[in-house]
Amino acid sequence: MSTMTIAKSATPASPGTKPGVLPWLRQHRSTAVLLFLFIGSLVIFSIFAPGFLSLENLTNVGRQSVYLLIVSLAQLIVLICGGLDLSVGMIVALASVVGASVMAQVLAAMPDSPTLAIVAGMAAGLAAGGLVGLVNGWGTAVLRIPAFMMTLGSSSVVFGITLFISGGVPIYGLPPEFGNSFGFGRIYGVPIPVLVALLMVVLVYVLLEWTRYGRHLYATGGNLRAAELSGVRTRRVIIAAFAVAGVLAALTGLLLTARLDTGESNIGASLPLESIAACVIAGVTLSGGVGRALAVVVGTLLIVFVQNGMNLMQIGAYAQTMVIGAILIFAMALTRR
Amino acid sequence: MSQMAAAAPGAPGTNGAPVLKACGLGKRYGAHQALQGVGLDLMPGEVHVLFGENGAGKSTLISMMAGANQPSDGHLEIMGERVELATVARARALGIRAVFQEFSLIPHLSVADNIALGEESVGTLGFLAKSAMRAKAARLIADLGFDLDADALVSQLSRGKQQMVEICKAVGQAPRLLILDEPTASLTEHDTQALFALVRRLKAAGTSIVYITHRMHEIPEIGDTVTVLRDGRQVATVPADTEADALIELMTGRTASDIYPECARRPGKIRLELKHLSSACGRVKDASLEVRAGEIVGVAGLVGCGKSELGQTIFGAIGTAAGEVLLDGRKVVFRHPADAIRAGLWYSPADRKHDGLAMMRSAFDNIGLSSLMFGRNRGFFRRPGQEGRLVSELSRQVEFPFSRAHEPVSNFSGGNQQKTLLAKGLAQDIDVYVFDEPTVGVDVGARQAIYKYFSELSARGAAILLISSDLPELLGMSHRLLVMRDGRTVAGFGRDEFDEHAILEQFF
Repeated sequence: MSTMTIAKSATPASPGTKPGVLPWLRQHRSTAVLLFLFIGSLVIFSIFAPGFLSLENLTNVGRQSVYLLIVSLAQLIVLICGGLDLSVGMIVALASVVGASVMAQVLAAMPDSPTLAIVAGMAAGLAAGGLVGLVNGWGTAVLRIPAFMMTLGSSSVVFGITLFISGGVPIYGLPPEFGNSFGFGRIYGVPIPVLVALLMVVLVYVLLEWTRYGRHLYATGGNLRAAELSGVRTRRVIIAAFAVAGVLAALTGLLLTARLDTGESNIGASLPLESIAACVIAGVTLSGGVGRALAVVVGTLLIVFVQNGMNLMQIGAYAQTMVIGAILIFAMALTRR
Repeated sequence: MSQMAAAAPGAPGTNGAPVLKACGLGKRYGAHQALQGVGLDLMPGEVHVLFGENGAGKSTLISMMAGANQPSDGHLEIMGERVELATVARARALGIRAVFQEFSLIPHLSVADNIALGEESVGTLGFLAKSAMRAKAARLIADLGFDLDADALVSQLSRGKQQMVEICKAVGQAPRLLILDEPTASLTEHDTQALFALVRRLKAAGTSIVYITHRMHEIPEIGDTVTVLRDGRQVATVPADTEADALIELMTGRTASDIYPECARRPGKIRLELKHLSSACGRVKDASLEVRAGEIVGVAGLVGCGKSELGQTIFGAIGTAAGEVLLDGRKVVFRHPADAIRAGLWYSPADRKHDGLAMMRSAFDNIGLSSLMFGRNRGFFRRPGQEGRLVSELSRQVEFPFSRAHEPVSNFSGGNQQKTLLAKGLAQDIDVYVFDEPTVGVDVGARQAIYKYFSELSARGAAILLISSDLPELLGMSHRLLVMRDGRTVAGFGRDEFDEHAILEQFF
């Protein structure tokens, strides 16, 4: 980082210079790389992948990206405040299992009120996710355990709890209305999960860019000590960040449950890595303080497009993981210099 | 010590070629001339003291001698031959070692491992010869007479002990030229004497030594020659037994009235009062003072005397162990800086990079940060128009160019970074300020703007506690001045009693 600073100060930007394309590219290198990769992959797949640009396929991509997108937003919030959340995947599974169990039991007790079952189940799932997030935040901010270790540990604990509750088997007996609305429902032709994800994008965008809490989040990740000395209660900021991330991950778990129509303990394992990749490709730094919600949307779509395009080109799953990893490294190599 | 004598070039007292010769050395950073036209002859067996205020160019000079920095003008000669010290490694290969104030130690390795670092000995099979390395380090420590345990982890040592490890590293390889940057600032009396004994031995073995110190009494005790630097220029090179008065005059020579604005003193009621305050970190032991409205009270003292911790303790960033802080006569307990800001007290930290600013964020974000919670535009949702007006108004007050407010702070010069930091303190209704080293690494132009801002604040009736290691600044700006030593407030001076010698005497 210091070399960057020196390079910048060596060529002082005079205040009156006209904004040109090249200086903009240099200033926003990560945005440029992201757009380059995104447009590049769109062009490649629209040429080589049959049916890639069809409305049906694009709707499909939109629906598929919902889950990763919400988890990536959760990851973004934690990354901005200088943390890292490896437990998002296991929170997804926990919320699925907790939500499904509560729903199934409430429905079994009161078969006439599926709405109550859905509300109770979703509330329980979201609360479980928020609770895990609170614990993660507490361990990171108060006990000062590095977020990497804290969330690695808690994800193992959560996975165990999930297996305990579910016994390792899918949980059936959900109200059909749940899947029909949150899994497969559409409003004006737009899938409900997509609408939920869009709502979350708007909420996270507003939270980060237009609220005091958002500023405190960036300040805490940018320089914890400076934020503290500016009167920011950084512990609370960090705990809240993990809690919000937990709730968002839990929401993803519930949406997946609606789609699968069962509570599953074996979902979400790939989400921590994919969500971190989506954020990092979008220019979020692992050291904190930097990252935009809209860029993360593009980063997530890039990953899902690449997966979808390769599916259409009938490239196998093994090759797909290789390509995703290579894109991540490539994006880093372009932005780091 | 035999190893040193063997490797050190030239016998003591040889008046041959200088070990290192600086010829017209200068360094320019952008438009700022940090150093210019310095010419030095460092003779074998000579202790050459560099003396000057903060920012006079001492650090720039030694960093070029050590290969950490390259001159923009002039060149260096070693034993009569012109050399380019492109890297620290190159300078080391030529026998130049430096002990800077920032250490180059690995915290999780032992003292012995740190001393051996980069020069590890290996056994026949290519494995580390650990016991041999340890024994060598222990021998070196014993030889130097330092009170150090070779097996201790560096992270668990005090700053003073770490300093000694750093010195061991430097002299273990028998340097031709040893550069010591304020080595005694954190040493105890015993270790200081051990260091002086070492310096005398190296001297006798023909090593040339560059020694930076702010402690006047060390100069005749250890030095042979003194070079005084001021504002990047070599003011004089004189024998070390020159009168202290003369040296201080050479050092401070500038006319104070040039950069310090007039601050009329119209003290009002007591705003901030400390009664026998001690901090939980133990660095502040018994500090008492009072600051009135419209008054600038300076706090002077050596680096490490606890004056910075005093500011942080008042602000609630460090816990209070004993004593009281009174604001407007009422006892206050700040458990978090947020409590202090809400009560109308602001602390501006000394280290803007680590404690003051989020360097990757824009000046705009940095300036407005606390105002969202405590300022005129407080509220959960941001109001961009109002925020923009606030930041532009504050920028004007501290003479920060608002047109650059959306650039990341890391793009800025030290002066503009400092102005950003000071603007933060104006974004909410505050009228009791603690400024900790507000002009470190700031050029003269920005200093003037900062001083003007202090005098305006003071004229508006703010109470200001100005903590600084820059004595001329305190003499120029404060209405009253307190000296801290070992965490205690030991002396007070009114403006009409300001006398540099009397004040400096209280430092030790």
